[in-house]
Formats: sequence, C-alpha cells, structure tokens
Amino acid sequence: MTDPAARRVLVLGVLTAVLTATGIIGLFLVAPEDSGEGQIQRIFYFHVSIALVSLLAFGVAFVAGAMYLRSQREWWDDVVFISVRLGLVLAVLTVITGSIWAKAAWGTWWIWSDPRLATYTLVILLYSAYFVLRSSAEGSRQARFSAVYAIIAFVSVPISFYAVRVAQSVVHPVVFTSSGAAMPHSMLIWFVVALAAMTALFFLLLQVELMQHRAQRALREVKLRLERG
Amino acid sequence: MNPRGRRQYLALLRKDLRLEFRTRETVVAMGLFSLVIIILFEFTIGERVGNTAPIAGGIIWSTLALGAVLGVGRTWVPEREQRVLDAILIAPVSRLVMMSARTTALVIYLLGVQVVVVPLAVVFFVNGTSAVNLLLIAGVCVLADLCIGIMGALLASMSVFSRTRELVLPVLLLPSLIPVVITAGGATDAVLSPSRQMAEYRGYCLFLAVYAVIFALVAYATFDYILDD
Repeated sequence: MTDPAARRVLVLGVLTAVLTATGIIGLFLVAPEDSGEGQIQRIFYFHVSIALVSLLAFGVAFVAGAMYLRSQREWWDDVVFISVRLGLVLAVLTVITGSIWAKAAWGTWWIWSDPRLATYTLVILLYSAYFVLRSSAEGSRQARFSAVYAIIAFVSVPISFYAVRVAQSVVHPVVFTSSGAAMPHSMLIWFVVALAAMTALFFLLLQVELMQHRAQRALREVKLRLERG
Repeated sequence: MNPRGRRQYLALLRKDLRLEFRTRETVVAMGLFSLVIIILFEFTIGERVGNTAPIAGGIIWSTLALGAVLGVGRTWVPEREQRVLDAILIAPVSRLVMMSARTTALVIYLLGVQVVVVPLAVVFFVNGTSAVNLLLIAGVCVLADLCIGIMGALLASMSVFSRTRELVLPVLLLPSLIPVVITAGGATDAVLSPSRQMAEYRGYCLFLAVYAVIFALVAYATFDYILDD
C-alpha cells in the first residue's frame, strides 16, 4: 500500500476496532455498576465521550477554517466541511443519549432549566445553519463564508461550557471539575478507553471522507479534460 | 482608527443615517413589526397567564430580536438595489471602517425602535415601572444592541452575497442571538422584579459586554475575508 492516506485509514481502522471492542467489553462487563443509578449509568461512557468528540470536531473545523482563510487551499475547506458534518451528527447523538439518560435518572426527557442541555441545543442550531449558508453561497465565496462561519460558530462552544459554570446547573452532574474527575478509577479507566475509541473513530471517518473528496475532485478534473477533448 | 479612517467612518455612518432619515423604511418597519409581535404575545400568552410581569423580559427581548432581523436584513440592500455595492467595495476604505459604520447604524436603528417599543411593552406586561428602572433597562438595550449590531453586520455581509439571502439571514442570525436574548431578558426581569436584583442585573450585563467584545474580535479577524472580492 503506497498511498499514505490509505495507510493512515488502515492504521486508524485497526486502532478504532481494537479500542471499540476493548471499550465495549470493559464498560459492559468489567466497569462497576453505579450504586446510585444502576445499569443506566453506563450510557455515561457513550454520552460524555460523544459530546467531547463533537466539540473536538468543531475545534478541528475552527482551526481548519482559519487555515483555509490563510492559505486558500481547497483541502482545508474539505476538512471544515467534513468536521462540521461529523460534529453535528455527534452533537445530535449527544442530545439523544443525554435525553435517554435524563429520562432514566430524573424521570423526564428534557429539562430546559439545565444550561448545558440548552446551550448544547444552541450549538446544534448554530452548526445546522452552516449547511444553509454553504448551500446558498456560490463560487469562491462558498469556501470562504463556510470557513468564517465555522470560526464564528466555534465561539459558541466555550460559551456553552461557561454557561454551566455561571448559571448554576440545576440537575446536570458536573463530572470533571478543577479538582479532578468525580468518579472512581475503575470507572475512569473505561471512560478514557471509550473516549479514545470515539476520537479514533472521528479521525478515521474524517480521513475516509477526505479520500472520497479527493477522488471526487480527481474525477471532476478527468471529466473536464475529456469534455475539452 | 486613524484620522482618515475616522473621517471615512463618519461619512459612511452619515450616509446610512441620511438614507434612513429620508426613506424611514427600516426603523418604521422594525417598530411596527415589533408592536405586532407584542400584541400577538399579549393575546396568545398574556391573556392566558394573567400576570405577565415575571416573563416580561423574555417577551420584550424575543420581540426585539425578531424585529432586529428585519433591520439587519436591510443591511447592504439599498446599495445593492441602487447598484453601488461594487463601487463601495472597491473604494479605498478599510473593511474594518465599513463594518464599524454598519454596526453603529444598526445600533442606532435598534435604539430608535426600543425608545418606543420598550416603554409600551413595560406598560402592557408589567403595568408600568419607575424612571430608574427604565434607565437600567436602557443600559441593557445599549449592550444587547451592540451584540446584535456586531453579529448582524457580520452575518448580513455574508447573506447579502448568497443566493437565498432573505432565507439565510434569520437562520444564521437568530441562533447566534439566543444567548443575547436570554441574558438581556434575564437582566430586564432582574430590574422589573418587585425587589430589584442588582447583583443578577450586573452579572447579565457583564455577560453581554463579554459577548460583545468576543464577537467584535471575531468580526475584526474575519471581516476582511468576507468582503475579499
């Protein structure tokens, strides 16, 4: 295999498979059951790692947006687009898993008074608008406006973190505080594995989609050359 | 801003305000639209809940945000209709000066609307209040309008070059304004509550000020790229 991108996909694929298998076995069979919430607490491993990786995806889009504005390289625009798309899917999954957890733990599907849930919904709305703008802009403006918007939208992410600390969350558990993680080491280790698996999955999907975009661009160029004769 | 930039800024601002003073299109439409929404809120919510005082801030700022979308939507429209947009863009004026003039014009339009709408809304929903409370709400208006003006000028500059500009702008702008509406509504409620909550009011105002500064910095860093044609 000579293509470096294909080699990266292979390495990331193997890493993702190993981490995911280890994580699933560990968090379902080895990690201790939570004394307060019982089995439903295991959704925490998925919910928090998906949430953190969605924020990572938006962070990657932010950096790639800034890089596109500096270099005007199409590759960075692809990274912005794919990262926002993956981040949005993960953000929606976060809200769904959070809602399932809320129903089991607090007896309700949704609580508006919790600032983190509310601001996470805001983040989803902001990044959904990215696609409306992108499909509406034309020519070189499409990539430029998309990059600028990815930067603007990312500003909402620290605000979502800030809101939970300032507005005094009513119900949402704050697991990670400045004094460390509020959970035993036997749980923390499986959370780290779940987070690593989700991060590897994100970079794998990003790499696969980048390859697909590159292939599409090459195909477009071939078509153009054939049309010109 | 150097003396030349200041002169350009004042010239652009004078042009916008003179245009608005002659036609009175934007401010009158925003004001009427806001009044209609207030009346809608009164009949759909006020009549049902009876005492609207505890939710007055939320109603007032939701109304003002929806009204602001009309004003922001008119940004760059007169230039486009009179086919002078390209001339303005190729003029030797820095993008920062253009953006500052746009933001200031938007803040002035919004304040023009709020001078009429806010006291009326206070009469409708809270049954009147003291002059000191109205002055404190005026402070909230200035801060929130700065946030709306900066964000509005930034997003309107992208939507004006988009294919479906009338559809794109509300989708981009309203999610960005949600934190502004929440905090400005919170500050207004803190003032209008029977025992004025000054600590809460200051907290919300500080949040609005920080929000305005953050987005001003984002706008400063990205505005050149938006109008880079």
